Amino acid sequence: MSFDWSIVWSSLPRLLEGAWMTIWLACVTMLLAIPGGLVLALLRLSRIRALAMAATGFVEFFRATPLILQIYWVYYVLPAYFDVQLSQIATAVTGLVCNISAFNSETFRSGIVSIRQGQWNAAYALGMTPANVFLRIVAPQALMRVLPALASTWVSLFKDTSLVSIIAVAELSYVSLQIRAETYRILEVLTAMAALYWLMGYPQAKLVDWIHHRFKVAE
Amino acid sequence: MTDDPILIFESVVKRYGDLTALDGVSLTLRRGEVVCLIGPSGSGKSTLLRCANALDPVDEGRIRFDGHEVKSTESSVRLVRQRMGMVFQNFELFPHLTVLRNITIGPTTVLKLGHAAADERAKKLLAKVGLSDKALSYPSALSGGQQQRVAIARALAMEPALMLFDEPTSALDPETIGEVLSVMKTLADEGMTMLVVTHEMDFARRVADRVAVFDKGRVIEEGAPQEIFTNARVARTRDFLSHLGWHGEGAASVSKREEA
Ligand SMILES: Nc1ncnc2c1ncn2[C@@H]1O[C@H](COP(=O)(O)OP(=O)(O)OP(=O)(O)O)[C@@H](O)[C@H]1O
Ligand SMILES: [Mg+2]
Repeated sequence: MSFDWSIVWSSLPRLLEGAWMTIWLACVTMLLAIPGGLVLALLRLSRIRALAMAATGFVEFFRATPLILQIYWVYYVLPAYFDVQLSQIATAVTGLVCNISAFNSETFRSGIVSIRQGQWNAAYALGMTPANVFLRIVAPQALMRVLPALASTWVSLFKDTSLVSIIAVAELSYVSLQIRAETYRILEVLTAMAALYWLMGYPQAKLVDWIHHRFKVAE
Repeated sequence: MTDDPILIFESVVKRYGDLTALDGVSLTLRRGEVVCLIGPSGSGKSTLLRCANALDPVDEGRIRFDGHEVKSTESSVRLVRQRMGMVFQNFELFPHLTVLRNITIGPTTVLKLGHAAADERAKKLLAKVGLSDKALSYPSALSGGQQQRVAIARALAMEPALMLFDEPTSALDPETIGEVLSVMKTLADEGMTMLVVTHEMDFARRVADRVAVFDKGRVIEEGAPQEIFTNARVARTRDFLSHLGWHGEGAASVSKREEA
């Protein structure tokens, strides 16, 4: 059996484009899923029962079903039954954002409830508005506590972007599998794909370790 | 002290589910007066303070502060809170802010004071509580007594008309209690109106104008410290005082140590 690594070099531009799409998907998803998760967390904590229950339903659905199913669902069910037609990339982002928002909301919620009532009271006792109490006193402390969990979610998200290849979004996995199908160089292409994922993922994993270490809850 | 009432509780009732935490409390604080609240654990002292600035809404009765009714539902409650400083048993400093920022956050966000003016105010207060060198430290680097003094400075930065203290020294190591009490004594001497929940009987005896004894959500006895400590009329008061190890003047510190 002979290896033909020239395939990898000649396909490198396409692979890098795929890698770029992977990064783009992960970043856009997280940028939207942070406010999304925060809104869901606040809704779940709200005193308006209907809102809290709706948010809970949403979160528990997206946390408890596979991402791949959610992506299919957005791709096939929305257009067929709800007359919503999204591009592939928009579909991918929608699915990922719903899923990651659900996870982030639980992260944020646990962070918010971990701040004891006394901190709220101390801030209210100064005469601060509820918004200021939340933004200046509770949220910064909660964020410090959940940074490690948020970072872990980011690392999973980065790898889970590969799932949107099922709807032909040209991210790294999809591009690699395409090249494989065109060239039949399975080993070379999959090795290149693994190397690219690793090159991108390893520094992130190290960063997450550092964040875990740095922001370990200390009070 | 004047005859001018600043904080009035009128038959205040507060329930938590089936539990009646405040069972018709009436109490009046006059401007410049120091009132100490004593009473057994769970008798409702903290609840009364939280109701005073509407951190907890009352179920019945009224609370009036400086002529206005305190109602948790109205946004005017923030005006009340601005003018009522509160000091907590567990300090409740904001751990993500420096000592200086802990003190300036009220003036800058609530009173809209400029940063320079707020910093200047904070520094004066830090000098007053003897912590000028700690302005840039974080609360976690401070001892309990130092944290509580910062918490007092934070409350004073709002230039309140009244200070509420909820057992300000009961979470402290014995050796740092004195520094906090002496700051409080200074405040009292300067004429600050204070409502203090405390088990420090010596402090109550020396500083309070009046002592109110709490039991099961009611004020069971109220009077000058001398009357309460030497001549309590109500049996429950005498029980409570002897339980704390108070057997009359002077004996307190000795018997307290025995209990510990
Ligand atoms: N948020 C709350 N929810 C339910 N019950 C409460 C709440 N806050 C206080 N209570 C109850 O109300 C009663 C009075 O409590 P409070 O904390 O006011 O007593 P206290 O006199 O301050 O006691 P301590 O000396 O232990 O601080 C207690 O039985 C307490 O369990
Ligand atoms: Mg209490």
